[in-house]
Amino acid sequence: MRYDSVTEIIGATPLVRIDPAVHGLRNVDLFAKMESFNPFGSVKDRAAWNMTRPLLPGAIERHETIVELSSGNTAKALALIAGMHGLPFKTVTNRMRVPEIKDLLLLLGAEIDELPGQAECLDPTDVDDPLTRMYRTLGEAGGYLHTDQYFNPRNVDAHLEGTGPEIIGDLDGRAPDYFVACVGTAGSSTGVATVLRRHNPQVTVVGLVAGKSDFIPGIRTIDEVHEVGLFDPTTYDTIAAVSADDAIDGLLTLVRRCGMLAGPTGGGAYQGALRYLRSIDDRLTERKSAVFIVCDRVESYMSYLRERRPQLFNRPAVRHSVATVSADEVAGVRQLDTARAQKWIAQSNAVVVDLRGPFAYQSLHIERSINIVDELFAELVRGGLPFGRSQPVLLVCPVGDKSARYAALLTRMGHTDVRSLRGGVIAWRDAGAELVRD
Amino acid sequence: MTAYLTPRVEARLRSLLEQKSLLHELVGALGSPLAVVLPEQVAENVTAFRTVYQRHQLGGEIYFAHKANQSSAIVRELAATDAAVDVASLGELQHALAAGFPSRRIMATGPKNPEFLWLAARTGVLVNADSLDELDSLATLVARYALPRMRVNARLSAFTPPGTRVLTRRSHFGIPAADVTALLDLTEKRSAELDLVGVAYHLDTSALAEKATALEGCLLALGEAHRRGLRPGSIDIGGGFGVNYLTDAAQWQNFTTELTNAVLGRRAPLTWNDHGYGLRNEGGKIRGALNLYPAHRPVAGPDYLDLLLSTAAPLMRRPLGTLLQESMYHLHIEPGRALLDQSGVVLARVMHVRDDGGDTLVGLDLNADDISMEEHGVLMDPIMIATPRSDDDTPVGVFLLGNLCLEADLITRRKVFLPARPHPGDLLAFANTAGYFMDFNATHAAGHPPARKVAVYRHGGTWRWCPDQNYWPIHRHSEAA
Repeated sequence: MRYDSVTEIIGATPLVRIDPAVHGLRNVDLFAKMESFNPFGSVKDRAAWNMTRPLLPGAIERHETIVELSSGNTAKALALIAGMHGLPFKTVTNRMRVPEIKDLLLLLGAEIDELPGQAECLDPTDVDDPLTRMYRTLGEAGGYLHTDQYFNPRNVDAHLEGTGPEIIGDLDGRAPDYFVACVGTAGSSTGVATVLRRHNPQVTVVGLVAGKSDFIPGIRTIDEVHEVGLFDPTTYDTIAAVSADDAIDGLLTLVRRCGMLAGPTGGGAYQGALRYLRSIDDRLTERKSAVFIVCDRVESYMSYLRERRPQLFNRPAVRHSVATVSADEVAGVRQLDTARAQKWIAQSNAVVVDLRGPFAYQSLHIERSINIVDELFAELVRGGLPFGRSQPVLLVCPVGDKSARYAALLTRMGHTDVRSLRGGVIAWRDAGAELVRD
Repeated sequence: MTAYLTPRVEARLRSLLEQKSLLHELVGALGSPLAVVLPEQVAENVTAFRTVYQRHQLGGEIYFAHKANQSSAIVRELAATDAAVDVASLGELQHALAAGFPSRRIMATGPKNPEFLWLAARTGVLVNADSLDELDSLATLVARYALPRMRVNARLSAFTPPGTRVLTRRSHFGIPAADVTALLDLTEKRSAELDLVGVAYHLDTSALAEKATALEGCLLALGEAHRRGLRPGSIDIGGGFGVNYLTDAAQWQNFTTELTNAVLGRRAPLTWNDHGYGLRNEGGKIRGALNLYPAHRPVAGPDYLDLLLSTAAPLMRRPLGTLLQESMYHLHIEPGRALLDQSGVVLARVMHVRDDGGDTLVGLDLNADDISMEEHGVLMDPIMIATPRSDDDTPVGVFLLGNLCLEADLITRRKVFLPARPHPGDLLAFANTAGYFMDFNATHAAGHPPARKVAVYRHGGTWRWCPDQNYWPIHRHSEAA
């Protein structure tokens, strides 16, 4: 397959059946519309390209900045499209909550403006929320191509012309009986639902929103959907809530059982679809089909998953961990107060290792001490320390607790003369001993 | 349909609210409205913050932001703890000194007139300066009146996070972090008059990420000072730790959803004149943003401080608490609202109850300035203090009217929900209102005197009270007479 531009690859994504042994439904064939196969990685490629394509020649001529309100896939697609056409891209967001996506956008050359958090001291006369102010700036300033994904009908059109007809084509000209989609901009769900209904007015459309206190990237909560210009409640036969937990459960099924590297939105759609279909499966008398959308891929959400399911990332217990040191071992450590430590350093040629961070070390430290920050020291303990077992060492930390635990650990590992500064560098300072910055 | 917002009331305050006859007696004798403070609770709140300091092995002062409540009982009780106080006017400074605070546990902040500054400098109070101009004029004042060298904190602002630009609200306080060099030049030049002991920030935001950026900015500023041989050793991170006002997250979520529906015209109004609290209906779409204090906050007060200290600095990627501790810097905080959590209640007498169209209107003998909940955007239901009646115990939604002859004098524009219809003579208790709601906005409008204030405390198993200005911490510790 040969193309002149990567934008030609957008669309025509595969429709893949979920193994019935995985979903367990008796009367429904469940299909995933794999929007993650788009070249920029998500369902938003279609809307981004459809919204910008007719406006690009003018924008290039006036060298406008493409601007959008997005914290994720739309921003990513627009940043790539802007870059391909030599235009700057800026996104304004209050929800940049996944650090990998922030870093990726910066890598793609995007500029990110973040809206501030809610004021702590409320001003009831301040009727201008930051978003309203932003819209006004865009209107007044000029020089912007604002794609306005939440209100732009070309967002819906992308799915009216692409996604919807593709699904019908792949189901041999028949609309599925059920269509389940997460509601973000409402672009894909509205566009696809419209096409399917035109084909078969009996199709049931299930819209999924996030629980109010929950955060699922790319899905809006039941209150937030009312801010979306493209959202029309009559598009959906049912609107149901999915939780972040549901989304992750669904994601795990898709990645571990189905060979689909789906992100949390796809996971939420799968879990929401399954919950709805299970409630009706027993009552069905004939074979039905259902489609949900896998919006994007899982790799950008590792920190999101780590934060919510740390147990998924468990590693086996590490050798020589300071966490395994017992109170008895710590009690056996030779701890020196400031005066004795000064004397011992002079007599023994001990290496003084300061375990604090480099910022604190550079500000003030004990003369001729070396700085190995605790995190690095923990790795060196496992991987190999830069001194021998007979080398006298004085460990130093802020208050003397951490250094005592490491001294105990090193002693257990066979180091013969590792000691800890009692009370740490704070006691050293309070005793009036010299601290330098050199 | 009811949409309760049940206030969070913890053990001590709950026990007080169960003393119905005592509360009726107090209002009967001292009039409505009546403000009640619980100094013991404030002392307990100090301990909760101190516990977070201990967990992160940090030292530094917990400055009570005096402007949150003018109570003498509270300030005197705090003087008996290890807390400090942050004063924002000459009157507050005099009050703190008279309450027994030594000057090393007082800090002067905010806009300051020359008299305030003179007394602060004379007594050796730490002064928090908002601009280079202010620092310069402080030095001039010290020189001119031969005052002792003044301990100063420099308040910084406009911190830049890595990677993105935060559209932070413009502040009229603080020295831009980019001007640290100019700050250090000035303090070096005026070192005979000024002793720069630390830097500060105070952000009007509840967003953790913005605060983490600011705290790291202060660390970097102190690093710069140390490079020049100066030795400021503390960072003051201001207040804004927040209070959780409601028992139940679901009630808050239900209310905000129903408010959205009401603004869209999909349900009966929940507010007077269908007020949207910042939300607008534009062509069937919600525009604007909810301009309300998040009354249910899962992480507030000491927990919020703990979370901030556990957060990694955006550039240095080490927890902020660890960076402070390793650098041997003191952490100062200025909680107002959070130190007064569960420490007070405002009582008001019901004057009349009437039906108006489909609504029930309850007239109270207090006005919106006596309780300023609407002004501060905090929504919660009052608690009814009445003798149980058998005749009407069905829940009711009512609008609360104040005692000023003004259409705008609604205690809250939200329809509040009560377990039963109130009767004239009943009391409504506005719980957990010691922080900012008691006297911040109180006036003499229409000849109504501001609420009297009493301090209550437990002694020998019973509740005791005295006028706020008569309370001293020895009362609750002394033997029963």
